[in-house]
Amino acid sequence: MKATLRNRLLVAFILVVVPPLVILALTATTLVSRGFEEDGAQRLSSGLRVAQNRIEALRGRAAEQVRAVAHDDLAAVLPREEGDRSLAESIAARRDLQALEIVDGRGRVVSSSHWPAGVGLPDRDAVFPGDDALRLEQVADGYGVAERLALMPSLPADWRGGRVTVRGGPFLDASFTAELSSLMGVDVALRDGVRGRWIAEAASPLSQWSNVQLGGDATRGDVQIGGATFLWAAAPLRRGVPLWVVVATPRTPLDRVVSRVLRLTLGIGAVALLGALVAAAALSGRIARPIRKLSEGARRVAAGDFDSAVAVGPDDEIGDLGRAFNSMTAELARSRDRLLQAERVAAWREMARRLAHELKNPLFPIQLSIETLRRAHAEGREFDGLFRESSDTILEELRSLRKIIDEFSEFARMPQPVLEPTDLNAVVEQTLALYQAQANGCRVEAALGQDLPTLAADRVLLGRAIGNLIANALEAMPGGGALRVRTSRRPGGLCVEVEDTGPGLTEEQRTRLFTPYFTTKKGGTGLGLSIVQGIVTDHGGRIEVRSEPGQGTTFTLILPLAAS
Amino acid sequence: MRIAIGVTLALCLGGVAFGALGPRYGGDLAVGVLDLPASPEPSVPRGMGERLVAGLIHETLVGIGTDGVPVPALARGWKTAVGGREWTLQLREGATFHDDRPLAGADVVRSLRRFLRSPSVAGTHLADELEGGAAFRARTSEELPGLAAPEAGQIVIRLDQPRPLPLAPLAALAAAITGPSGEGCGPFVPTLSVPGKRAAFTAFGGHVRGRAYLDSLQLLGFSDPQALRGEFQAGKLDVAPGPGGPSALAATVLLVLDTAQPPFSRGEARAAVAAAIDRGDLVANFLPGGDPSPSLLVPSLLPSLGLEEPAAAGTLSGTLSMLVSRDVPPLVSQRVVAYLGTIGLQVTVAAASPAAVSASSGGARLMMWSPEVAEAGLALEELAALAGADPTVRETLSLAGRETDLDRRRGVLHRAEAALRSTRALLPLAAAPVAFSQRRGIHDLAVGPGGRLLLDDAWIEP
Repeated sequence: MKATLRNRLLVAFILVVVPPLVILALTATTLVSRGFEEDGAQRLSSGLRVAQNRIEALRGRAAEQVRAVAHDDLAAVLPREEGDRSLAESIAARRDLQALEIVDGRGRVVSSSHWPAGVGLPDRDAVFPGDDALRLEQVADGYGVAERLALMPSLPADWRGGRVTVRGGPFLDASFTAELSSLMGVDVALRDGVRGRWIAEAASPLSQWSNVQLGGDATRGDVQIGGATFLWAAAPLRRGVPLWVVVATPRTPLDRVVSRVLRLTLGIGAVALLGALVAAAALSGRIARPIRKLSEGARRVAAGDFDSAVAVGPDDEIGDLGRAFNSMTAELARSRDRLLQAERVAAWREMARRLAHELKNPLFPIQLSIETLRRAHAEGREFDGLFRESSDTILEELRSLRKIIDEFSEFARMPQPVLEPTDLNAVVEQTLALYQAQANGCRVEAALGQDLPTLAADRVLLGRAIGNLIANALEAMPGGGALRVRTSRRPGGLCVEVEDTGPGLTEEQRTRLFTPYFTTKKGGTGLGLSIVQGIVTDHGGRIEVRSEPGQGTTFTLILPLAAS
Repeated sequence: MRIAIGVTLALCLGGVAFGALGPRYGGDLAVGVLDLPASPEPSVPRGMGERLVAGLIHETLVGIGTDGVPVPALARGWKTAVGGREWTLQLREGATFHDDRPLAGADVVRSLRRFLRSPSVAGTHLADELEGGAAFRARTSEELPGLAAPEAGQIVIRLDQPRPLPLAPLAALAAAITGPSGEGCGPFVPTLSVPGKRAAFTAFGGHVRGRAYLDSLQLLGFSDPQALRGEFQAGKLDVAPGPGGPSALAATVLLVLDTAQPPFSRGEARAAVAAAIDRGDLVANFLPGGDPSPSLLVPSLLPSLGLEEPAAAGTLSGTLSMLVSRDVPPLVSQRVVAYLGTIGLQVTVAAASPAAVSASSGGARLMMWSPEVAEAGLALEELAALAGADPTVRETLSLAGRETDLDRRRGVLHRAEAALRSTRALLPLAAAPVAFSQRRGIHDLAVGPGGRLLLDDAWIEP
């Protein structure tokens, strides 16, 4: 991603907005989770206590009921002709006992409220290890029998001349655990550690929990049942008895809250991100636009348009910058004008100095010749010969003056180029042919690029520019050397290189090379390169020079394919 | 005071007098049953409901009297010839089917041919006795020379040899006479059938013994005996199984042990089960009205001689699956489970319809069994088929099937019964009463031989 102001602003906004949101979400989630877990743990502990207390309370009540049956009810029972088979059922109904059994001294069931089919047969109910009151009672179930855990304290009693045992109490079965679950709002179940089975209603998730490992004192943890996570706690009903009270509550509410918090955070984060994008775009546009305008203005100024000004923004730093820029630009324009004026004055002065120098040169011999003639005529000396010599001199100097004036005039009247598709190689070849005779022992090499596209140019002016360069190169090698002319393609245009192996130029000479009337030649007007520069500039191109003293000089014309 | 006494007396006497006026036509009876047949076609009924429905829709050629001897039904009489090998039955005149089509000899022949090839034990017995019957039943021949309708209103049955009570099998409900499309000619016409749930009937005006007193009947099926009892006590049913109404010692509480699989493939295991069950205690405490005599047949079929070889006690271990018929009293089933628990068996019980229990096998089955035909020989043959083939029993029963002297035959039947009982594949726990509760104002309900509720003569006080 490009490091634009907009992107930097966007990143800054994101860094400012998103991390706090994330931290907030994480913090909230952690706090909520912790709160829920603590609440859940508390509920589970409380649920365990309530379940255990409830069972102990039932045990106490059952013991009282059994005592009442043994001491009061049995004594009041009258023998019946049909026997006592339904006795337990009727007493249990009166005493609100779910299970009641009377067993004789031989261990045979005398009467049972829940297993009447077992009357007269040996009592085969299993006792839970560690607690005689916890029994696995056989209970009538349809056409057969089922086994149910019952809390049945027992008490011996004397009855009809014999010793019997009365035991009774509630069933600790699925209905019991369902009732506790409903009361406490958590899932309650009993775990039979001897047989490895659950005593719970079928719909309870605890009944589906396999691979249960309970041991020691109260334990707790979490477990995956049926794809959901449950927090659970367990404690033995009594120490040493392998019957556990297990309570559990789903983590679903917690997970739901956490999920909601996360979704909310994601939503806010998305909105914040969007807002950051919009704000970044808006703000960066607001900031970057004036800066971009400033930048465009600076480019225009750099391109020479000192009259451009940028719109000034509000009264802030950007506005100050704009005003400063406009002020600078105006100052630059004034400076440019002053410089132009000064340059114009300097150029006029230089041109006048040069013109005066050039004009003075031929005027002095003219003046001298005329003075010599007047003196000779006055002195009566031999006049004819002197007249001829002096007139020759005067005519020669007049021709030189004429040349100076012609070049000046040509420089002043440089025509506008008429652009047409032009074969650059053809122009170079034609120009080289014109100067072939003036090579004076110099080796002329042409390396012209192949398949060069045509360019829009004035063939005549272009030929003159190339000709001037060739002429200068040849004049720089009076004793011989190598002249190389190359054409090639450059991105967006073509280039012509004219290289000589002459003495080269110093740095000062290079900087003043295109100044009118600057010349390194004896007798040069100093307008040639100015004319070349003018022609190249009119074609939309530019000229470059490379030279070092003693290493020759290379002029490079770079011309666009289409005039701009 | 005198006036009050007088009014009271008048009301009581009026009620008695009113009832004493005798049967009258009219009324609709709602009867609860534990099983309703899926189809009204004649078949071997296995439960009380199936027997009731079959008896309402169909008629057989003969019935069975209280002494086990055939009595006329659709056949008004018969005579024998050829030394007892040929029996000619005369059909009642005017007997029609429910579609008013007259009963013809061809209908009897068609119905009996169907009966001879049915799963009925009585049908098998008759087929074995008829000329060409065995081949016909085996489907190796379509010819049945032993059965013909030579004249209108006559059926001739020819036996391979003189047989005792050869017409008894014709009393089986599977031998009911039907029309070409399955129409019955019983006292009631079926009008509605929701399989397993409800069946409705109206009295058939063209019945051979005359129209029944009741106008219509509703039979309601229940799968739970407690639910059925609850409906009766709530007043939604007029008749339901239970005490207080007509009753007959007509079923045997039978524990069937599968001798083909362990543990009961061993005789010692079966003996241990037999020894564990105290029939006297069972009847005295859990089956009021029952008879603990050690016989496979109820006393009305074959009075018990009281002889019983005591079974050797033993212990077993492991689990046992027991299938219990829903017409067995739950308390009786629980008691049997308790007995089996005393010898170390942990029993898991599944309840099913009487037909399903009869058709199943494996483990143990507890059922209220009544014979297809209330005749001792046929009943023992049915039990022998239930217990599986035992050569001694079959041989004894075959002997009984050839003994035409009924007194000697009874002795042979006792031997057959004792032999069958000694295999201990079938353990008779008690002869049980088939009883029904009825609401006040319903009269002349009866329980027939075989434990079928008879509604033909029932009537309702208006």
